[in-house]
Amino acid sequence: MKIWNGIVMAAVALPLLTSAAFAQEDAKLKTLVVAVPSDPVALEPGTNKAEPIGSEIILNVFDTLVAWTAPDFKALEGRLASSWTVSDDGKVFDFKLREGVKFQDGTAFDAAAVKFSLERTKATNPYVKATFDLIKEITVVSPTELKITLSAAYPAFLSILAQPQAGIVSPAAVEKYGDKFASHPVGTGPFAFKSAQADTNVVLEANPAYFRGAPKLSQIIYRVIPDASTRRLELENGGVDIVQQQGQLSAIAAQDIEALKANKDVKVLETSSQIIRQLEFNNSKTDGPFSNVKAREAIAHAIDYDGLLQGVFGGTAERVYGPLTTNSWAFNPKMKELAPKYDPELAKKLLAEAGINPSSLNLKLYSFQGPLWGAVATFVQANLADIGINATIEQTEFPALRTLQTSGQFDVALDGRQPWYNDPDAHITIGYLSSLANTAMTFRMPQDKALDDMILKAQQTPDMEARKQLYFTIQEEIAKRVPGAYLFSPKLIVFARSNVEGLVVNSAPPLNEYWSVSKK
Amino acid sequence: MASFILRRLIALIPVMCIVLVIVFSLVRIIPGDPATTLLGPGATQDQIEALRAQLNLDQPVILQFYHYVVGLFVGDFGYSLKSGQPVAAEILQRLPATIELSVLAVIVAVIVGIPIGVLSATRPNSMFDHVTRLVSLVGVSMPAFLLALVLQLVFATTLGWLPVSGRVSPYLPVEPVTGFAVLDGLLTGNLAGALSAVQHLILPTAVLAAFLAATLGRFVRNTMLDVMGEDFIRTAKAKGLRRRDVVLNHGLRNSLLPAVTIIGLKFAEMLGGAILTETIFAWPGIGRYMFEAIKNRDYPVIQGTTLVFALLFVLTSIIVDVLYGILDPRVRRKMG
Repeated sequence: MKIWNGIVMAAVALPLLTSAAFAQEDAKLKTLVVAVPSDPVALEPGTNKAEPIGSEIILNVFDTLVAWTAPDFKALEGRLASSWTVSDDGKVFDFKLREGVKFQDGTAFDAAAVKFSLERTKATNPYVKATFDLIKEITVVSPTELKITLSAAYPAFLSILAQPQAGIVSPAAVEKYGDKFASHPVGTGPFAFKSAQADTNVVLEANPAYFRGAPKLSQIIYRVIPDASTRRLELENGGVDIVQQQGQLSAIAAQDIEALKANKDVKVLETSSQIIRQLEFNNSKTDGPFSNVKAREAIAHAIDYDGLLQGVFGGTAERVYGPLTTNSWAFNPKMKELAPKYDPELAKKLLAEAGINPSSLNLKLYSFQGPLWGAVATFVQANLADIGINATIEQTEFPALRTLQTSGQFDVALDGRQPWYNDPDAHITIGYLSSLANTAMTFRMPQDKALDDMILKAQQTPDMEARKQLYFTIQEEIAKRVPGAYLFSPKLIVFARSNVEGLVVNSAPPLNEYWSVSKK
Repeated sequence: MASFILRRLIALIPVMCIVLVIVFSLVRIIPGDPATTLLGPGATQDQIEALRAQLNLDQPVILQFYHYVVGLFVGDFGYSLKSGQPVAAEILQRLPATIELSVLAVIVAVIVGIPIGVLSATRPNSMFDHVTRLVSLVGVSMPAFLLALVLQLVFATTLGWLPVSGRVSPYLPVEPVTGFAVLDGLLTGNLAGALSAVQHLILPTAVLAAFLAATLGRFVRNTMLDVMGEDFIRTAKAKGLRRRDVVLNHGLRNSLLPAVTIIGLKFAEMLGGAILTETIFAWPGIGRYMFEAIKNRDYPVIQGTTLVFALLFVLTSIIVDVLYGILDPRVRRKMG
């Protein structure tokens, strides 16, 4: 009897389930599922601290005044601004704004909303304090015209305006939700925030009234999957459409990437990043072996750069020739020749000239944690051993490593920087300005008025061509001082199901926009 | 019995206080502060200082402790440094997922483990006994992450029967009512969602249950073999009782006592194992929440989740003691 009950139940339920399955297939083609390792933090410009997942969602829900133009991200284009001019002294920015744009809550976008948003971020977001504090005044000239006056020239300001922290929020929604705005973010972007479930997902739905045209997808689901091997299985199984590497060194090992490249259901999108990883010296130290530039040069010649790229990264990283990556608009092509080449014999000779007996050096090579950093450290260790230097690897948790670095308790360490805005300033100023030596993980440059003046001048020169020339000189000057050995730049890698089309991988910062994406 | 439970509950207070002091100081001894960790390698000292001030981390530790304890009395576990949300609410949000998984795993482990133990004990050294011994050995010694990966590869990737991870299909979202996905699916009339939630439960439950079922199976087998050699079993047999009654009413009942202890202890251990299982299966429970918090040095969350785990641990041991009383009249008399 019971068996019959079961059979009848199943017969009733089956059509229900299959119709659900059909609906599911249709929904699948209009839905993009993106795997992310953790919940986003701060889903709105006023509190966002450049955390990658939240930042990417912001760029899809909100618009900025300007944005970097795909696919090479070397020039700015207008988004909510239709055009702009910069005064000769580089302090005044006049924007013309787009007309007829509406926020997702139906309210109109205008210059007052821009003023409201930027002033709000300036007041609430300590992460952008240094740059937003430069804003002296924001004036609403008319509903479609806006004037921003800075207290000092800062040409990278436009670059900052392209960042998620400078997204334009709906003033009406901020008033409505108050403190809870981050749980109900409202912008003008191609996707509107729908829901978020802790440790599970964030759902965005298409904004059909988007001013650049309705997106092709009807929703985006950010699925939180903390384990890397689970993310890979989900991608291979079709449970997610996109897995991002996000420039993190620990995300997916090179051999996994090879396996995914061989899978015909998956495509691997790669693009150059502006991330730099280096072996750096404690340049503030006036004693010790590396206070002599010859000793630093020796180390730079001891490293087999191409071997590292092929052996450890299997081609998923690129060569870095100096303080800027080759895809930066300010990269000096001469650096390719100036960069030290792998030459262990020369390295030994330089050490001898510096009066250093390599076997007397017992170096502690500090590094971040994680298997890939471990592999890099081991590779460098072997290179150093080839010229007779004994180095022990100390992989340290990030906060402890930061303390070691900022307090200067090291001779050599592995380190890196991911610029959070697309401008040479993001690498050069923080990395090499001597007055900032102890304030972050930097090259700890010693007092050097000539170099400091040049860096500050480049930071403030409004004319882009003049600025570029200044950065060219700065790169050569820094190279002469050999503050470190530039090891590699990891590529940004995005794994997508082969039916995902129209995705352009954004390089700086690595935050993708899904407006143009569709599924076949 | 009631006064026994009350006494045990009162004894809970000093235990929780000690746990609180230990956790509060331990999380602060781990090097690295939350502001540094949250902002990542690119941040400058100014940015870190600004965030520290925003999170009140610049206050003296004693003051932080005082505020925390005062807050606890009114059910305030503080705010997560990462999300800025109240910790108590975040824990409550995630608790159903963990309870769903662990309670189901215990039930499965008991349903599978005990009969296997009984059958093995009644046929010692038979083929069945040898096979279950081997399987149990694998179950006990295989690390959870490896078992999880094997199950994902076999049942999700190769056979395509079950989903790899998650709690419910993203295309069939279940409206949260109680927080228990299967139940919520049924309550909101979302049958497909409920079914999807059941499918998603199978693999993580299997991983969590495997260890307990294997331990339990071997344990019941061994204690039962001992019990079956006792005089009263011979007496029972001599009275002419049916074999089934001898095994179940006399043998099993007397072997269950130590098994209950094992279930209690292992249940608490399983909550720890849930950290790994929840991470691998992207299961939104408190184990994974705690793991993330440790990585981020999210002090209030580490404290809050540890207190919850400690509470579950102690409550489990009280339940075990009460079950002892129910199963064994001698213990019941002592409890008063």
